[in-house]
Amino acid sequence: MQRLCCIPLTIIGSAACAMAMATDYRIETLAKGLEHPWSLAFLPEGGMLVTERAGRLRFIEADGTLRDAPIAGMPEVLVDGQAGLFEVALAPDYADSDMVYLSYACGTLTANTTCLDRARFDGRRLTDRAPLFRAEPDKRGSSHYGGRLTFLPDDTLVLGLGDGFDYREQAQNPANHLGSLVRLNLDGSTPDDNPFVADSEARAELYSIGHRNIQGIVYDAMRGELLIHEHGPRGGDELNRILPGANYGWPLATHGVDYTGALVTPFTELPEFESPLLHWTPSIAPSGMTLYDGGQFPEWHGDLFVSALAGRQVRRLIREDGEIVDQEVLFTELDERIRDVRTGPDRALYLLTDSEQGRVLRVVPASPP
Amino acid sequence: MMNRWLPLVAYIAAVLDATLLGSIVQTQFNLAALSALGVEISFATRLATTGHDLLGFTPLYGSLVAIMMLGAMPAATLVTRWLGSGAWLIHALSAALGLWVMLWIVDTLAPMPTLIAATRSLEGTLAMMASAALGGWGYAILAYTKWDGFSA
Repeated sequence: MQRLCCIPLTIIGSAACAMAMATDYRIETLAKGLEHPWSLAFLPEGGMLVTERAGRLRFIEADGTLRDAPIAGMPEVLVDGQAGLFEVALAPDYADSDMVYLSYACGTLTANTTCLDRARFDGRRLTDRAPLFRAEPDKRGSSHYGGRLTFLPDDTLVLGLGDGFDYREQAQNPANHLGSLVRLNLDGSTPDDNPFVADSEARAELYSIGHRNIQGIVYDAMRGELLIHEHGPRGGDELNRILPGANYGWPLATHGVDYTGALVTPFTELPEFESPLLHWTPSIAPSGMTLYDGGQFPEWHGDLFVSALAGRQVRRLIREDGEIVDQEVLFTELDERIRDVRTGPDRALYLLTDSEQGRVLRVVPASPP
Repeated sequence: MMNRWLPLVAYIAAVLDATLLGSIVQTQFNLAALSALGVEISFATRLATTGHDLLGFTPLYGSLVAIMMLGAMPAATLVTRWLGSGAWLIHALSAALGLWVMLWIVDTLAPMPTLIAATRSLEGTLAMMASAALGGWGYAILAYTKWDGFSA
């Protein structure tokens, strides 16, 4: 078990842009020894749930103690390559319902997909677990599942999916879920006002299509905006503002090229597709995202924070009136792949490092505000 | 008597041949997949994309072909000597089979299911193997010209 410990790693956020103010911060290790931690959820009574890609859901006590035994009652998770346990998210009414949502890779190596379950968490184990959604069709290989989800204020949720890598053209096919964002009611049923409901040849769960591999989702309640980011191939990672029913163009339009160096497409933009708010070329491999309310770092109020795997950093997207006006590279001194970034109930930033000995980190001001 | 440098020249030519043809082939398969989605691709765009891939795709693909040919051509030469004829066909088949093995190895080792998008389909894989076969055929033409007078 690991106790809360502070690392004198510190300080000074490196500024990648002229207008970014260097901010003093301190990074504390809250927990370690997690196998590729992927997502975390803060419990209202204190403590947090953390998923490990290896298929385990772990509990971290309010004092930072990592409980030895994984939480029981988990679904059967396919673990291979990018496949594994992904998101854990508390239901909006968790305080009353104790319900949590889990996304994960399900099936076999030759026939698998992204699944979403809901279960009751009693503090020790999951009970009453029920499958809510299974992306169709099943696919071969263990790449590009998406897996991030967030809740919208109208009692629905959106779940990001991937194109399965080998099936990239299917991201343009509304008759399946590959390469899409789906919107569901909290019980897994399909909202009547989903944008593709009236199209008899399309999947009613679809909310937007033309995505490669969605890895971060944030709903900005203040502006009523749904933002996602997704992996490009070599270059072409994108931040997109989601419009219901819109097509984001993959693989017909991208700023990236294939890993082989070949062009995926000759087009970076086409008029019939939504263009990204920004793209990262070369890739940083964005992996998680939070909208920071400025609690412990007032100068970061309203900015987006994007964790990155290949970039081994967190990218602060500086916003003015909702528009991204600049970027700042943060936490490169960790020299670690970062899987997720969250805003905690104490309004500090929390990071998950991606390794076999992954950690939960907390970023707080170097000196109390 | 066979020129001692001829196998090397033939090897380089075969690698270049298979690599350039393979690059052109994979571009056309990728563009065909996009066209099937309804996007119009002009001849100029097709030409520019093919040219881009001849620069962008060939460094990696050429390396794979070069390694493959190092095994496939000597193996084909041994079989040709054993059989006493059929050099053109044997080298072409050896290069095609060699590429198939190389693709299998790469796809097994790489994190993604299929590294080269054009080889996701049987048609694309066969077309890439055919381009490699032309490289092997070219090798046989060059290497055997002065050895046994077009023994194929």
